[in-house]
Amino acid sequence: MRASSLLRSLKVVSRRSPINPVVCSFHSSSLRAATNGVTTPHADPQLKNYKFWNREESTPGQFSYLLEISPESIQKEARIISLTAPDDEANHALHEGALPMGCRLLGTGSTLQDFNELRNSDQQPNVVFVSPSCPKARVQLPLVLAAFPTIEWIHCRSAGIDFVVSDALVGYKHIPCTNAKGQFSSSLAEYTMMACSYFAKDLPRLMRQKKEKNWAKYEVEELRGKTMGIVGYGDIGRACAKIAHVYGMKIVALRRNPSISEVDPLCDVVYGTGKSSLNKLMSESDYIVCSAPSTVETRGMVNADAFKAVKENAVFINLGRGPVVDEKALIEALKTGRLRGAALDVFIEEPLPPESEFWDVSNVLISPHNMDQTGSFMHEATEFFVNENLPRFVCGEDLLNPVDVEIGY
Amino acid sequence: GILYAMDGSNKKYYNRETSIPFSSDGDIIKEAKILSLGKADDINNEPLYKGQLPEGSRLLAVGLVLEDFDIPALKLQEPNVIFISSSYPREVFLQLLDAFPTIEWMHSRSTGIDHIQSKGLAAAEHVVVTNSKGCYSSTLAEYTLMACAYFAKDLPRLMRQKQHKDWSKYEVLELRGATLGVVGYGDIGRAASKLAKAYGMKVIALRRNPTLSKGCPICDKVYGVDQLNTLMSESDYVLVAAPLTDATRGLIDADAIAHAKKDAVLINVGRGPIIDEDALIDALSNGKLKGAGLDVTTLEPLPTESPLWELDNVLLSPHNMDVTATFLRESTEFFVNENLERFVRGEFLLNQVDKVAGY
Repeated sequence: MRASSLLRSLKVVSRRSPINPVVCSFHSSSLRAATNGVTTPHADPQLKNYKFWNREESTPGQFSYLLEISPESIQKEARIISLTAPDDEANHALHEGALPMGCRLLGTGSTLQDFNELRNSDQQPNVVFVSPSCPKARVQLPLVLAAFPTIEWIHCRSAGIDFVVSDALVGYKHIPCTNAKGQFSSSLAEYTMMACSYFAKDLPRLMRQKKEKNWAKYEVEELRGKTMGIVGYGDIGRACAKIAHVYGMKIVALRRNPSISEVDPLCDVVYGTGKSSLNKLMSESDYIVCSAPSTVETRGMVNADAFKAVKENAVFINLGRGPVVDEKALIEALKTGRLRGAALDVFIEEPLPPESEFWDVSNVLISPHNMDQTGSFMHEATEFFVNENLPRFVCGEDLLNPVDVEIGY
Repeated sequence: GILYAMDGSNKKYYNRETSIPFSSDGDIIKEAKILSLGKADDINNEPLYKGQLPEGSRLLAVGLVLEDFDIPALKLQEPNVIFISSSYPREVFLQLLDAFPTIEWMHSRSTGIDHIQSKGLAAAEHVVVTNSKGCYSSTLAEYTLMACAYFAKDLPRLMRQKQHKDWSKYEVLELRGATLGVVGYGDIGRAASKLAKAYGMKVIALRRNPTLSKGCPICDKVYGVDQLNTLMSESDYVLVAAPLTDATRGLIDADAIAHAKKDAVLINVGRGPIIDEDALIDALSNGKLKGAGLDVTTLEPLPTESPLWELDNVLLSPHNMDVTATFLRESTEFFVNENLERFVRGEFLLNQVDKVAGY
């Protein structure tokens, strides 16, 4: 019996209580009926959202369960190699854990040389799992793909794939590539709300007054009623919108394909890309959240022009990638008071060099690209690969979280 | 959605976010003759001092102390309403009740009435007391989640590292999956729970009448006051949002704190004296509590000698986390636009306080 039809005939699949199954019916009317925007995956006229994973909303273990009860669902084997740093514990579930039926780990390494023994073996890998911990992953991955033409699937452990994208890799764009989209979103949404409140309640003033033992009352601002503008309305953007919405904030979103979010109940306005759209968003937002990936299109996108368009007293938050922002323009906007402040978890250069002006600007909250770094986040990302995408692969199902290496996300 | 009201009806209490503004076809059946116990130049009282009052109703006098009121002259006009916005009204208020037996209604611009509450007030059965419940709740809910995140993401560490130009990565905690225990599950407690749920937190509510919150969709468990220690042992973040009454004074004592979960954070937006401050300081100093977010303290302003100033793991604010530019004005607007309109039509007043219970 084909795996997918077996799955659809099962009523209860998940061990945890499901919010809404990811593999849902394809009737657009049932998707459009999703008025309770908080727990339902947003309606998508192109019916694409079932291909993506969200840690909070997706039903886990559907296909691992299937393999357990019906081994004949296996269509093919997964023979995996892992491009990783030598002692990366986050990959435990893959390197040391029990893999789903039909899956084998052939080897781990940081360079092509580490896989030399495999080249003459009769067991050729068909899956490569690449972690950002792998030094020079950008160089090594195309070499590995060239050496093992049997590879039919690349999975990136992280959400950002900029660490691995290159012209050489684009030469392999025919190979499906997937990532960890949706794995880190809620942590970053929590950080976003904290960053907004940091300025709204003037946390720096509180800490100053405490140092001075000064009990002086002052007015605070509410987030309620304010506008959050989200540049790059992907999974992280939506996670922020979900919480901001409950705070009573208005949401303005910007993405390459605005039609996908047109019926998203969380967004009040959705813009496409283009300079005038971005400037419009900047002029309407009290809090701007930049959660876009770093691609050829987005590099330097938030520039001096954009900062000129901001609303008075706006706050800029960047938790996507540093290169999306023109840092000089940002510093200028902060120093001149055009921006009330900024909260930055990412920078063009990381670690941020001590000479960077950001350290000395008082109205900036700096974090060392760790606001999604929970004790388990990378472990969970590996577990997602092992428990969700590997079973789908061996069952011949669509893989979750496809990315386009040419577009860059 | 409609917030689940204390009495399940949403008709007795006001909530700024969800209540429908007053409108009625009812006839005006009496006049409100109002005394304002507060400052004459308080601009936040302008909706009362300069605004449009219901037909026939008027403001008779404004004052802070008994001497400000011309008692014989005012007695002739038979004032029936007192609007309180002053900080220390207790004695004066009782004197006014004595001087004007025609008073039937007192409205407090604040939500807390601990500064007005007295045996004399409780004994004055003919006086209905209402307050500004539901006017500030969402602002305090925002503060609550900020205080939780302050500790979860270790904001103090970020600020320290910035000072030293130190780029050291460290792990952060998620609020998602953590438990928020709410002591005093009223309007503020519910507003905080609503946000906490959006973050994916679990919520445990504690209140005098747990049955009133049975089936409440935004909390996972409801406890009575006798289960305080259980709540303490199960909560990663404890929010104190109770009013100050005889029942709540010193409620969070050394014993309760001793039951706190490892690395728990205590947040107080209610009133300082609900927590035994010495026990709190002890627990913060010896690591029993990871930290505290205090918008209220036993003494305000907090005296400079208080150890709370110097404890690193305390987020201190000067009882201002609900002080927006408009909150007091909005409170007065609530009095004028909602309750005054109800009063002159003989309709049920919103936000009635139990004078004996004190809230």
